Amino acid sequence: MRYAKAVYATLIVIFLVAPLLVILPLAFTSSAFLTYPIPRFSMRWFNELATNQTWNRSILNSAIIASSTTVLATVLGTLAALGLRSQDLRLKSQIRTLFLLPMVVPAVVLGVGMQAVFVPLGINSTYFSVIVAHSVIAMPFVVISVSGALAGVDRRVERAAESLGASPWRVFRLVTLPLAMPGVLSGAALAFATSLDEVVLTLFVAGPNQRTLARQMFSTLKENISPAIASAAFVIIVGTVVIAAALLLARMTPARRKGRVPKTT
Amino acid sequence: MSRAPQLKALVLIAPLLVFLGMFFVWPLITVISQAISDPAISRVLPHTASAISGWNGKDLPSDEVQAAFRADIAANTDEMAMGDVTRRLNASKSGFRSLMGKTVTALKETPEIPLVEIDKRWGDTAYWLAIRENASPYTDAYLLASIDMERGADGAIKAMPEGSSANAAIILRTLWTSALVTLCCLLIGLPYAMVTASVTGWKRALLLGAVLLPLWTSLLVRTAAWMILLQENGLINQALMGLGLTNGPLALIYNRFGVVLAMTHVLLPFMVLPIYSVLLTVPGNLMGAAASLGAHPVRAFLRVLLPLSLRGVISGMLLVFMSAIGYYITPALIGGATDQMISSVIAFYATGSANWSMAAALGLILLVLTLVLYALYNRLSREPGQAR
Amino acid sequence: MAESFIRFDKVTKDYGTVRVVEDLDLDIARGEFVSLLGPSGSGKTTLLMMLAGFETVTKGAIILDGQRLNGVPTYKRDMGVVFQNYALFPHMNIARNVAFPLEMRGTAKSDIAARVKRALDMVQLGHLSDRMPGQLSGGQQQRVALARSLVFEPRVVLMDEPLGALDKQLREQMQLDIRELHHRLGLTIIFVTHDQDEALTMSDRIAVFDKGQIQQCATPRQVYDHPANRFVAEFIGETNLLPGKVTGVDGSKIALTMPDGSVLRADGATGLAVGDAALLSLRPERIDLHGPNDAPAGLNSLRGEVADTIYQGDHLRIVVTTPAGRIIARVPRKAAEWPNGASVALGFRPADGWIIAP
Repeated sequence: MRYAKAVYATLIVIFLVAPLLVILPLAFTSSAFLTYPIPRFSMRWFNELATNQTWNRSILNSAIIASSTTVLATVLGTLAALGLRSQDLRLKSQIRTLFLLPMVVPAVVLGVGMQAVFVPLGINSTYFSVIVAHSVIAMPFVVISVSGALAGVDRRVERAAESLGASPWRVFRLVTLPLAMPGVLSGAALAFATSLDEVVLTLFVAGPNQRTLARQMFSTLKENISPAIASAAFVIIVGTVVIAAALLLARMTPARRKGRVPKTT
Repeated sequence: MSRAPQLKALVLIAPLLVFLGMFFVWPLITVISQAISDPAISRVLPHTASAISGWNGKDLPSDEVQAAFRADIAANTDEMAMGDVTRRLNASKSGFRSLMGKTVTALKETPEIPLVEIDKRWGDTAYWLAIRENASPYTDAYLLASIDMERGADGAIKAMPEGSSANAAIILRTLWTSALVTLCCLLIGLPYAMVTASVTGWKRALLLGAVLLPLWTSLLVRTAAWMILLQENGLINQALMGLGLTNGPLALIYNRFGVVLAMTHVLLPFMVLPIYSVLLTVPGNLMGAAASLGAHPVRAFLRVLLPLSLRGVISGMLLVFMSAIGYYITPALIGGATDQMISSVIAFYATGSANWSMAAALGLILLVLTLVLYALYNRLSREPGQAR
Repeated sequence: MAESFIRFDKVTKDYGTVRVVEDLDLDIARGEFVSLLGPSGSGKTTLLMMLAGFETVTKGAIILDGQRLNGVPTYKRDMGVVFQNYALFPHMNIARNVAFPLEMRGTAKSDIAARVKRALDMVQLGHLSDRMPGQLSGGQQQRVALARSLVFEPRVVLMDEPLGALDKQLREQMQLDIRELHHRLGLTIIFVTHDQDEALTMSDRIAVFDKGQIQQCATPRQVYDHPANRFVAEFIGETNLLPGKVTGVDGSKIALTMPDGSVLRADGATGLAVGDAALLSLRPERIDLHGPNDAPAGLNSLRGEVADTIYQGDHLRIVVTTPAGRIIARVPRKAAEWPNGASVALGFRPADGWIIAP
């Protein structure tokens, strides 16, 4: 029984993780095909990404769009999460549901609707339309993550600050915001990753000039499986990890690091 | 007294509310209205449309209706829109193309001329019926068409002729594929969640990590990984042939097998995590208690653990099914032509053939289905007490 | 009472349709230590939160030193608040936590450092000023919270069950420390607790809360010995309540006739008249046990039968059934013991009983 359990768990772990491990080494293949065994280690396909106009334009676009989306979604989502914290707000749970709905609505349906709204306004196929579309579906992650962090902020700590003479604005700046910062930052990282990975909405609201890395990967995958895909996947993974790491580092303020001094007594 | 905090909260959420109103709610409303609206006739012939609604359909329409029609034609300046109207009316009743052309020209010259004098066909109620039928700004034609139905000449709903539309088949296929994926996720995920909940320490961390890792990785990257694994000379086929299990490569990709496999991988975390979190709330010694009371492990599982984890199982199934029916990328890349799901068809109507109304109608069906499932899921996760 | 420093004037608080505090009056003098004692939901914490400004007052007024506080935001009230969970700022070290109220008041930098040091030394934590709150034990954190609430010399110090999260030994130590600080610094302290021992130990006066109203507000001795009503008698300490009928009133001396016809005499609350139903509250430790015929003259005496004897280490609890009801007596270890079923006489002085309205 115990043995069967271990075998089963191992098999499923392999099923879950192996595909992700398989694709990364292929980014460094010298072959023209995405297959094993890899003949030789080579930077050939990264070179392709860097020099090919279509690929490097799409990487630049993704960088622009994902960072703008991150800023927009994080600001809107954080403000909303702060508002949702109020006990006095009427229709609170309905509003929260509305905020989370973009995660649920099928992207294709939203894409059709966005295109139908954006085209007559003459704003479809612009950076604006893509950033807005990505922000709509990235925002729920920020709301969830910041709400979670705020739920962990003890109201009594804020009350203590107020009783010690801090005005509401100072309570927010000196106590609430610093304590909720981890949630804001992980929300921002999730927003960035969401935008980086977004394909379906992009198909509808982006023009050729806003083609993102994910969109470019999608069409390349449809046409032919070139190793440039593995290199692009590598870039996406590294991009996500770098952003997450940077945000994590930013979170470790000097005060926090000082706080890690081991106990002496 | 609670006005001030309420106002503060409103000010904080207002930006996002406005943003979502413009870029989320409005697009969805547009989808809905596009799915059910048919403004071509009512826009060009507004007075006719309102006048003809009072007509009994048997005698010739009254002078007011005819006058409204003449006025509408005379007032129109949009040739393209009139062309649209003609095409639409012609589709309902052939002969309208020549009739409308003749009528427009005649009315341009002498606006007051009685219609029957322009063409005696205006004395035939069949033509007026066609106008009345198309006059409403709303239509259920697209919604019906999205499930392979239509209205006959008598207005009754009937099935479209065999083979003229594959929408219903695609909806069924979407539901079937999603059900299959849900089942696979359940069969793999339920035992996995139970194993995860039963171990501790690094083992639990590893098992949970293995579920969370794919969740954090790009969907596109995961799909690409499966394409690489499943392709004709991919690792799996290489391994199978290397082991001598098959002689030639198996067709693993561009078919239903590949779609279900890849979607199961992608959606498995949504099954494991809800079950796992429910299992965590079940005291660990219950199985031991059942055993001490004389229950065989299998019976103890069926009678104790399974009922207790049911809420997580149902949540997980709803979540997986709800996500699966809206999937686009994975079927589009890993499926063959006969594995496309409803999202692909919507995308095709919207971007490929520019049939916005059909895209919207199918989208509306998908939207409603998803929201109903989500409401169920929400209800389930909010009222733990009533879910048994 | 001396001049009123804090005055609650007909204060009412509603949450929606629920009335948590009703028409409450309370005056507190400068330098006084007042405990608000009561079961949870009795309104004591709500009253404190209204004083601190965390909750609004539905009706009535709170006046501090002649200034009406209604509508004054918390941060302008100049009150130190100590919370049960300490409520230290987890992202600031100890020194910065304590400096916080001084920074808010724009105190000069050089001055801040000196005052923070003095405050931390006062609670014997000067050596930990660089630590983060998470690295401190519960008792240390509470002392930091105390230093933080005192460093800016607030007009009033409010404590909301501050010792509730500490273990017994630490709690008793802190009780003495706070009592000492109160005397040394002449602080006005309002202290919310549901622990009667804590209230008895520390307070100048105890306000006993129930159902949003103060049932009694008096010194610990009065509250224990002369409870105003049945709730107070039962809530504070253990007591035997024996129903009877008032058959004589002579000033504060009351004669109570028990159902079996015997007459007991004790002090009692004012307002009782002959013919009223009343309760005799008899503390277990005020009862002596004698042989059935040995009851000393001049004492009240009740005959009964020993039903059970419970050994409690430093004392015995003896359950006696009497015609007036079941009575628990608490007697010292060195007193004589009786077997179950033995006839005994329970004796108590009139001053040791207390008669209240039922």
